Amino acid sequence: MDTVIRFVKKPLKLLLRLLWFVFDFLANGVIRPIHKLFFAVFKGVGDFFASIPRARRENPSSFKRGLSSLFLPGLGQLKNGQWYKGVPILAILVLFLLIEFISGNYIYAPGEIANYPAEENLYFFRDYGGIFTRGIWGFFTLGALVAGDVYRGEPIVTEDARLDWMMADNSRTLMGEGVIVLVFMAFFLAIWAFSVRDAYITHIKLRAGMEIERFKKWIRNVWDDYFAYIIIIPGAALLVLFTLMPFLFSFMVGFTNYDAAISLRANLIEWHGLTTFREVFGAEPGFRDFFITTLGWTTFYAIVSSITVYVMGFIQAMVIESRPIVGKRVWRLILILPWAVPGMVALLVFSNIFDASDGLLNQILSRHDLLDTTRTILRFEFFPFDRFAFFDDIWLVRDRVGDIEWFTHHENANLARLIIILVNLWMGYPYFMLLITGVLGTIPSELYEAADIDGGSANQKFRFITFPWVLRATAPVIITTFTFNFNNFGVIYFFTGGGPAYPRAEVPQALIGIEPGKTDILISWIYTMAFESGDHDTYNLAAVYSIMVFVLIAFVSIYYLSRLRSFWEEDD
Amino acid sequence: MLMFWVRLKRALFALFAYTWLIMTVIIALVPISYMVSAAFSPVRRLRDVPVIPRITEWSLVNFREVFTYRSTGGQLLPDYVQSFLVTGLVATVTTILVVIFSSLVGFAFTRYRIKGKKPALLFMLGLQMFPGFMGMIAIFLIFRVFGWLNNPFMLALIYVGGAIPFNTFIVRGFMRNVPKSLDEAAAIDGATNLQIMRKIIVPLAKPIMGFIAINAFMGPWMDYILPSIVMPRNETVAMWLFRMNDPATTPHEPMLFMAGAMFISVPIIIVQIKMQKYVTYGLVSGGEKG
Repeated sequence: MDTVIRFVKKPLKLLLRLLWFVFDFLANGVIRPIHKLFFAVFKGVGDFFASIPRARRENPSSFKRGLSSLFLPGLGQLKNGQWYKGVPILAILVLFLLIEFISGNYIYAPGEIANYPAEENLYFFRDYGGIFTRGIWGFFTLGALVAGDVYRGEPIVTEDARLDWMMADNSRTLMGEGVIVLVFMAFFLAIWAFSVRDAYITHIKLRAGMEIERFKKWIRNVWDDYFAYIIIIPGAALLVLFTLMPFLFSFMVGFTNYDAAISLRANLIEWHGLTTFREVFGAEPGFRDFFITTLGWTTFYAIVSSITVYVMGFIQAMVIESRPIVGKRVWRLILILPWAVPGMVALLVFSNIFDASDGLLNQILSRHDLLDTTRTILRFEFFPFDRFAFFDDIWLVRDRVGDIEWFTHHENANLARLIIILVNLWMGYPYFMLLITGVLGTIPSELYEAADIDGGSANQKFRFITFPWVLRATAPVIITTFTFNFNNFGVIYFFTGGGPAYPRAEVPQALIGIEPGKTDILISWIYTMAFESGDHDTYNLAAVYSIMVFVLIAFVSIYYLSRLRSFWEEDD
Repeated sequence: MLMFWVRLKRALFALFAYTWLIMTVIIALVPISYMVSAAFSPVRRLRDVPVIPRITEWSLVNFREVFTYRSTGGQLLPDYVQSFLVTGLVATVTTILVVIFSSLVGFAFTRYRIKGKKPALLFMLGLQMFPGFMGMIAIFLIFRVFGWLNNPFMLALIYVGGAIPFNTFIVRGFMRNVPKSLDEAAAIDGATNLQIMRKIIVPLAKPIMGFIAINAFMGPWMDYILPSIVMPRNETVAMWLFRMNDPATTPHEPMLFMAGAMFISVPIIIVQIKMQKYVTYGLVSGGEKG
């Protein structure tokens, strides 16, 4: 009876654990962060609107001071006597208006508009607006006139226009400039809001009897109190310019119809809402199927490659650290070479090794007459029993004569996938070997001594001391390795280039030209889809897929962070 | 008798362990020796290159070709040297700026009270997860609008911006294990922010800044995608390597690729091996210890 119970108990326990993990992931990784985010936003907005009438009721005169800053940013500060705040804020406003005016054509507007026939369309901001108003106009409309249209009685041209507004609109540029302008506007609005709030608060303090600081003292106070914010500025500026802005732009491309069929200046990009998302999620079965296949392989690859490098690294560390091995340093030095070789170089060398016509492997195999033997092995033909149909699909190599087409024959997809995982193992495990060797050194020897006294076997020592200790210390790295491999662009792009390709007949019409290769992971598919498909480049779909990759990885990472108590602890 | 069995077991294990290690060493070395063999080989086709370098037949013909090949006639420098210098410039500028900016951000996030620290950290973490090159259309666009294409300094700025989130986490992971009592004491003694930074925090953080610097310097050498988009006419080493190995472009010279790759790999390998003791920083780099 006991044995029966034990046999039932173990799998049941595992199953429960798995279920708990899924539940925990959904709760802590998906639902809680979303809930928290919404809650924070709603609360923030609600608090803000609730605070306005309260401020008005409680401090009417200070509220008025705030209003004067709302009317003209900096005015409240000037009234408060803080010229050193008011003047710079005003100067920023003036600078903004000046840029807007100089970059626009406002001076021509009055004369021309008066003569303009009322029944014809006139795009005021397009023609006369400065950089800011024109940017906002462009962002929302993505342009209005393209080559061939007639405007103001003349045809629109694509180059060398005599007047700015006779030039065809380039939707992509308009969108890019729109994003830039919106970021700058947000920055300016933030200053404006600060000015209102500051005028209000300072006035309250003044009424309570606080003296206005002198300029020098104020500067010193700011330098002392806001030092941390000041040293962040250069880094934050670069982050906004080169990371946030591109992020926003490509995020927005997902909501347009932008692909290579649109030739800029001859067609307009249009806002498309959620159309592309709908296509991906089922309106277009081809998209959905290929996405799911690719996502499945990506996940499989990420999980398996993380586990294999970890296990192999563990084994190597244990073997090298074991008693009979002499010259541990030398062994380690040789074994970390694959990690030290730059990844791109290693992958390109490997792509040469596995090349179908010139490759090293085929060359060796054919020199020793092993090509057919290899085929037999890979096809499991040596298997004495009736082979499972399973093997026919999973294993490999249907091409009959000559060199083996590692990455070029479409029926060798699983062979190619296996090789990718092995090559990744070759490149990846030395890192874990080093890491785990380091961690092994931190295990207190008393633990082993105690185990010796209790008569623990080597097996038990490993199971109850070494393994849990190492696992606990390296758990964070396993997760980061997973997310890294999920987006491990180089392994696919430099090594197989996504091949083998799907046979033409299997590709649905909508995906021709942008279909993934059989070993493409999401990230490399996205890249080829957006940049290397020639006439088929599809930016909106690529953007939608990027957003989905982002969301997936974000959930995993948030879940992982939620389990780390130290991240949420305030550390000061 | 018992002793005998124990000894036998040990001997068997030793045999097994050595066999295993020798096998893995061979597997580890094959691609590397292939690269070395090809680089020093006198033959013209990759097909004819042996796996194990033939010591007697070595030649420098590939290296001579790498260091003299000019894709257009009037060039002052050979392609490879040119790309080497460009990448060196990018790497140097990146290193200097990354060390300054990201350690400042890292210090701010560990040594000071900042409003919205947690959202900011999460935000940076999130930005990192977006597939970077999807932003490249936008970066390309910004660069074209401002005329920054083919400009190594601007490429370096992208690297700096991109390195900030990750390095902030690294610095944070390192600095939170450094006690704050010293800077607090200094603050009580009336030291200014700058003094505390210069005299206390920076010396304490030197090891991690060194780590960041080396990482930042190594990055540009092997980055292909970003430079290929923003520096189409100003090749970096990675672009050169890729071009030589790409069957789709006209001078498809895998032998030159092998030589060029070897030349650039040797210093990188040496640095990596010197850096191996920093591998445990991987434990903090994911952010935090559990």
